[in-house]
Amino acid sequence: MRKLLLAAVLLTAVFQIASAQMPNDGLMMGNRQWCTLLQYTHTSWDEYWEGTNKRSNLNLGTFTGQNVMLMTNFGITDNLNVMAGVPYVWTDSDSYLDGQSGLQDLSVFLKYQPFKTAMGGGDFKVQVTGGASIPVTDYVPDFLPLSIGLQSKTASLRGILNFTHGSGFYVTAQAGHTWRSNITIDREAYLYDNELYYTDEMPVPNVFDATGRLGFINNRIQAEVMLDYFTGLSGDDIRYNEMPLPCNKMQATTAGVFAKYFIWQGLAVQASYGQVLSGRNFGQGTTISGGVTYFFTLGGQSQSTE
Amino acid sequence: MKKIHFTYRLAICTVLIFAFNQCDKTVEDTYFEPYPETSLDADAGNWKTYILANGSEIPVPAPEDASSTAYQSELADLKAKMAAATAEQQELARRWGANGVSRWHEIARELAAQYNVPPNYNADGTYPAPDPMNPTAYPRFPFANPPYASRAFALLAVAQYDALVTAWHAKFQYNRLAPYKNDASIQPLIPANDLPSYPSEDAVVAAASRELLKFLFPGEKELVTALAEEHKNSRLWAGSNVQSDLSAGDSLGAAVAARIIAYAKTDKMGQANNQAAFPNLRADAEARGITQQWHSLDIPVRAPMLPFYGNVKTWNFDQATLVAIRPPAPPAIGSAEFETALNELRTMSQNRTREQFRITTFWADGVGTYTPPGHWSRRASELIAEKQLNEIRAARVMALLTTAMQDAGIACWEAKFYYMFPRPTEVDPAVTTATGIPNFPAYASGHSTFSAAAAEVLSYLFPDHESDLRAWAQEAADSRVYGCIHYRFDSENGLDHGKKIGEYAVQRGQTDGSE
Repeated sequence: MRKLLLAAVLLTAVFQIASAQMPNDGLMMGNRQWCTLLQYTHTSWDEYWEGTNKRSNLNLGTFTGQNVMLMTNFGITDNLNVMAGVPYVWTDSDSYLDGQSGLQDLSVFLKYQPFKTAMGGGDFKVQVTGGASIPVTDYVPDFLPLSIGLQSKTASLRGILNFTHGSGFYVTAQAGHTWRSNITIDREAYLYDNELYYTDEMPVPNVFDATGRLGFINNRIQAEVMLDYFTGLSGDDIRYNEMPLPCNKMQATTAGVFAKYFIWQGLAVQASYGQVLSGRNFGQGTTISGGVTYFFTLGGQSQSTE
Repeated sequence: MKKIHFTYRLAICTVLIFAFNQCDKTVEDTYFEPYPETSLDADAGNWKTYILANGSEIPVPAPEDASSTAYQSELADLKAKMAAATAEQQELARRWGANGVSRWHEIARELAAQYNVPPNYNADGTYPAPDPMNPTAYPRFPFANPPYASRAFALLAVAQYDALVTAWHAKFQYNRLAPYKNDASIQPLIPANDLPSYPSEDAVVAAASRELLKFLFPGEKELVTALAEEHKNSRLWAGSNVQSDLSAGDSLGAAVAARIIAYAKTDKMGQANNQAAFPNLRADAEARGITQQWHSLDIPVRAPMLPFYGNVKTWNFDQATLVAIRPPAPPAIGSAEFETALNELRTMSQNRTREQFRITTFWADGVGTYTPPGHWSRRASELIAEKQLNEIRAARVMALLTTAMQDAGIACWEAKFYYMFPRPTEVDPAVTTATGIPNFPAYASGHSTFSAAAAEVLSYLFPDHESDLRAWAQEAADSRVYGCIHYRFDSENGLDHGKKIGEYAVQRGQTDGSE
């Protein structure tokens, strides 16, 4: 399993790189199968896009975001999975500004596979994921890029197409939409699109995202390359030489690789690497992660996924 | 009414987002509703002015008689304009009808926020400077930092006030009735009152504000000119003034504004950013035994913000008084008292509570905001609406408040560059902050000085809010300690200093003829 991305995580460039029974991949847990992931992720950048202009900022230096994520996925039936996860996030920079830390947002997803058919020497599957997230602590959202999240409640809906050949090669395409609630910030006026709003309510843009994956999986290994894109569907740009705000239109295209090795019984290790290629109001982050998954069948014998 | 609208919206959204209905990303901010004015202040034409000698210095020509053909034709024209007004224009009539003085201060706050951006560094490590001759080129002129903004708000308020005192003098000299008093068929869109309508107080405020904001934000001439036209036209759409009320008001407002701008050109603001002479300030401080001095923590090192702002002309006391009430010397670096203060910040930056962080952010009023004087100007606008003050009472509130805040800025800046005291993080880099470190010396706290001066004046003007106002000033002062950008003695002595400064404005208020 992999970490949730979610657009929630701002300039930290934390996002979904790869797969294994995540809300946005093509894999499903079988009936009564249970998989849990513990993963560490490290993101850093020293350049970011201020609007569409890439720049560095000597007063910020290098930004570092890290998190530890616990995520679990249970197969209610072969065609219906439920997942939940929450990350502990901490941030820092070279500036004198305080790094932030804390539990971020709890996410819950239902993943449903309405259609699966044999074709072309493999299986073609259609899946739909609905999800919601809610902040679990009162972290500060209006202190970007050091905030650990945006405090927005979200709901998401995504569709996934997967073809896995009998040889183990697979291809997955997914696209999703995330609705994000407005938030309450700690001040009572702010500039949005160069106009002053006399309110502490700030809009957080909804997000569209899409991912393509190409990979190989068998009962010992999984390897994958991916390309991910997400964009805020509204929002303004960071004002020149100012700090980012939760109402900014954030956008990024990220390339990544992912690998998983099934060690013994239900135990596996996994790692990923991602690089933001282009963006808007977003850090050009390099992300690495490493994690351990444990898989077993409730009331049955432990086995590898898929 | 300003809204953020996001057109992206799906029906399914309402199904998916069960616990929170935020599919529609509409954020509204409120504006004040028009209200009936509670007093006429018929003697306000005799109130004490700031720059003008008095309210009769600038003469206003006599209006045509109500029975004249010219006036009757103006009434007909007014009725035609009211009948032709669109729903949007009627909404604007209500918006401007609440209080023109407050509305123009709201516009000034918005401009201050838009222009409150320090220039970015060049590739070679130097910083470009805003150029008043070329205000729209990057970096735009002005950089509306707190000293600049405090002066802008004060000049705007003084122009409005002196112009309105003159307008009141003429109003009760000529006693022309409002259009709806001369013609019962006119039903005004905003509450009627018994105030003589010539010259129009709204046109006076619109013209004075337009001219001052053109001077202070020269890149926004078109915007403020359009807003002033909208303000004046709103009186026609509302049925509250005829054209000659507005024309006379515009001429008067512009004439008074010219006098205020002439004053502003000689208030020494032009020399406030004399960076070439900054080494003299360092040498003077060194000669007084201050050896461990403030340095910029910006990378690359940035020249200090307006080091000679302390020489700018004050409103409510003179230079000798400014020196006499300067805060006492801060504790010596390394002394036990200093270490206690620094230790508080070392602990704070490790253990700041969420509530302390909230307070830091609430009062930060940093880059991209209307600055601390703007924060208090907003509070004053709210109190003016609550008490339903008429235009001239509102202008008096704003003038007393903003002149006190500019005096606070000037006196505080003088102390800052007199003592040249380093920020906590410069003394100990382990002190991390919850907000940006301003680019000027620490002692005393500007936020504390501005806020105590503001609270003193507003407590005099709105005594039933005194406990809230003083608590806010205390919270603003505390916010700088919570944020770890000020020592506690910066805030405490800043509060004391600001209170004294506010008292001078209160003394003026008590003797300006309005009580």
